[in-house]
Amino acid sequence: MILKNTFTEIGETTIFAKKFFKEVFIPPYETKEFLKQCYVIGYKSLPLVAITGFIMGLVLTLQSRPTLVKFGAESWLPGMVALSLIREIAPVITALICAGKISSGIGAELGSMKVTEQIDAMEVSAVNPYNYLVVTRVLACTLMIPILVFFADAIGIIGGYVGINIHGDVNFYRYLTQIIQSLEFLDLFPATIKTFFFGFFIGMIGCFKGFNASNGTESVGQAANSAVVTASLSIFIIDMVAVQITDLFF
Amino acid sequence: MEKQSRYTWKLGMFVTIGLLLFIMAVYFIGKQKNLFGSTFHITSQFKTVSGLEVGNNVRFSGINVGTVEQIQLKNDSTVIVILVMKEEVREFIKTDATASIGSDGLMGDKVLTISPGAKSTKIIEDNGQIASVDGIEMHDIMKSVKKSVDNIGVISDEIAIFSHSMNNGNGALARLVKDDKMANSVSNTLSNLETGTKGFSENMEAAKSNFLFRGYFKKKEKEKEKKAEERKEKQEEKKEKQEEKAAKEKEQKEEAKKEKQEEQQKKEEAKKN
Amino acid sequence: MAEEKLHKEPKKKEKGQSPMIEIKDLHKTFGTDNTILKGVNLVLNKDENLVVLGRSGSGKSVTIKCIVGLIEPDKGEIKVFDENVLNISKSELNAIRVRIGFLFQSGALYDSMSVRENLAFTLSKHKRDLNDDEVEKEVMEALENVGLAEAVDKMPSELSGGMRKRIGLARTLILKPEIILYDEPTTGLDTITSREISELILDIKNKQKTSSIIITHDMACAKMTSDRIIVLKDGVIHAEGTYEELEKDEDEWVRSFFQ
Repeated sequence: MILKNTFTEIGETTIFAKKFFKEVFIPPYETKEFLKQCYVIGYKSLPLVAITGFIMGLVLTLQSRPTLVKFGAESWLPGMVALSLIREIAPVITALICAGKISSGIGAELGSMKVTEQIDAMEVSAVNPYNYLVVTRVLACTLMIPILVFFADAIGIIGGYVGINIHGDVNFYRYLTQIIQSLEFLDLFPATIKTFFFGFFIGMIGCFKGFNASNGTESVGQAANSAVVTASLSIFIIDMVAVQITDLFF
Repeated sequence: MEKQSRYTWKLGMFVTIGLLLFIMAVYFIGKQKNLFGSTFHITSQFKTVSGLEVGNNVRFSGINVGTVEQIQLKNDSTVIVILVMKEEVREFIKTDATASIGSDGLMGDKVLTISPGAKSTKIIEDNGQIASVDGIEMHDIMKSVKKSVDNIGVISDEIAIFSHSMNNGNGALARLVKDDKMANSVSNTLSNLETGTKGFSENMEAAKSNFLFRGYFKKKEKEKEKKAEERKEKQEEKKEKQEEKAAKEKEQKEEAKKEKQEEQQKKEEAKKN
Repeated sequence: MAEEKLHKEPKKKEKGQSPMIEIKDLHKTFGTDNTILKGVNLVLNKDENLVVLGRSGSGKSVTIKCIVGLIEPDKGEIKVFDENVLNISKSELNAIRVRIGFLFQSGALYDSMSVRENLAFTLSKHKRDLNDDEVEKEVMEALENVGLAEAVDKMPSELSGGMRKRIGLARTLILKPEIILYDEPTTGLDTITSREISELILDIKNKQKTSSIIITHDMACAKMTSDRIIVLKDGVIHAEGTYEELEKDEDEWVRSFFQ
């Protein structure tokens, strides 16, 4: 029964998501709402992402250092930290943070709009609520999450620099050179492509949960909660698939 | 409307900086990987590339000047490696330069090193070929390490045999160390030597009293005496030699001489007194 | 008895002018066995305020949501402005929706927008050629109609229940609809505010010449606003008539509403 419900939900989400690809090309384009959502999703999440990114860079450095020192490969530290940040840590941590902040936010917002009949009101005033609410948010998520990840990468690298300087004195330029030397396009591009998927799923799951909140105040909380859980889970699944695909082709 | 413009610039800034970070990363990584800027290609043939991979660095005089672009098997014993290099270093690479593969760092990343040749002054062309020097393979290193280890084994074996024969064998050294008879005869020798020197000093005294009696005679006399002394010494030495059949070590001779000289001096001093 | 009346009534009116809304044999079942509507027949004539009474869960809200296409009925026919809304395309349906105003129970103001934005939102979606001044003028006019011009810069969370309803009404009116559907307009309000809303409904009818369906439990509201009343019971129309007629209805159950 639980299995059946799960499959039903996956099916419903797929239908819901399919609609996105249809609606995204159909006018009217809600540019203003899209920009507003970009602002809310992107700019407003920046402090949170920045703090997390900085700490991840710092902690990763401090944690990797003893092992590398043991092997006498301390000079590999900047490269290794940057590599793990860019390939894995920054995208996944940023996505998880955004699943917590954005997905639940969208879930709660649309959920309460659904419960208080705002979505119906939009519908009967002949405004397509899917177009106005879902397309703008999902699109904003899909485009803003990668940018947030770039910020997390950069700030994480700065965090790593601070971490390295706790134990020694490394010139910042030298640090950057070492990082750039250890990076390749194969580290950057697959990681970036996967963040678009993270963004899409974060937005889509939040919208789906909100849109399908049943009538009742408690369902708003449920929508927000299950949005976070489902979005986080899907991030890990996407990540796993992405790693395998990257492995397969490169 | 006003509310919108309040956040639009922040959004714009956010997006711009974010994309800028990405573009910078692409640019710098690209610069590092030689995808931008003018480049040229060199090929070289190796018997083995020792695990060299596409993307490994190419060094010239220790500077990273390019990367390995392609590695192909030509036949069962030849591998063609194609390198892409910065155009600006082309003028330094002559046609007789050689390529070799080495390891870089602890983790064993391979690097392809281009060494300058000696004679040629002709700059290499694009897609030109350079000779290769087969690199030191890891198992070669291991071979030489093994040889050293083997040698050490032999040496320690020999040391073991040596010390064994020292303890248990019949050689002179071993007997010296181990045999009681030998030790006794050495001490006998030493006591004989002592008696010998006593006799010698008595003779010397006689000689010296002679010298005093014949104090008026001049150098001839003295020379005679010296000769006589020398004769006596020789005789005594002969005696000593006869006595010291078992051990005729030079040191003891020297000791004897020294003792003679010392006693000569002493007696001279005594007579002066 | 009641059924006979029902069938006669629409025919009589049809001779004069075509009704604004005509519903025939409407059925709706939720889930597998939760049948709400079992053949509702309903007519809304021009310039008429039709009050729908009925107990909670009798299918009043479902009926009017079917009219605007929020709920798709299982069976039946709904004609709005002589067009069958169940068999038309999305864009045609939207064209009809613009001519129908719908006031939700809670007002359904968009929480994230100020009152002005709430009103301008609907307007800007349908009359894209208006410039900012014209939008502002229309917004203020609609707010003055409901007597809340001073609330223009407030957020919905700062408004009281009665104000929310009135702003919701203003938002509905801004598109100058020909039909307005009220979903329990006075629920949750005190008697005085309820009367104000009822007066407003009458006022709008007289000023803007609208036809309305009003769903309510509030008999004071029904008395003030109704031209005609229908009573829903068990998914069918149980009784129909003016307030005065139904007040003296021979059916005990119908009379109980008026006590």
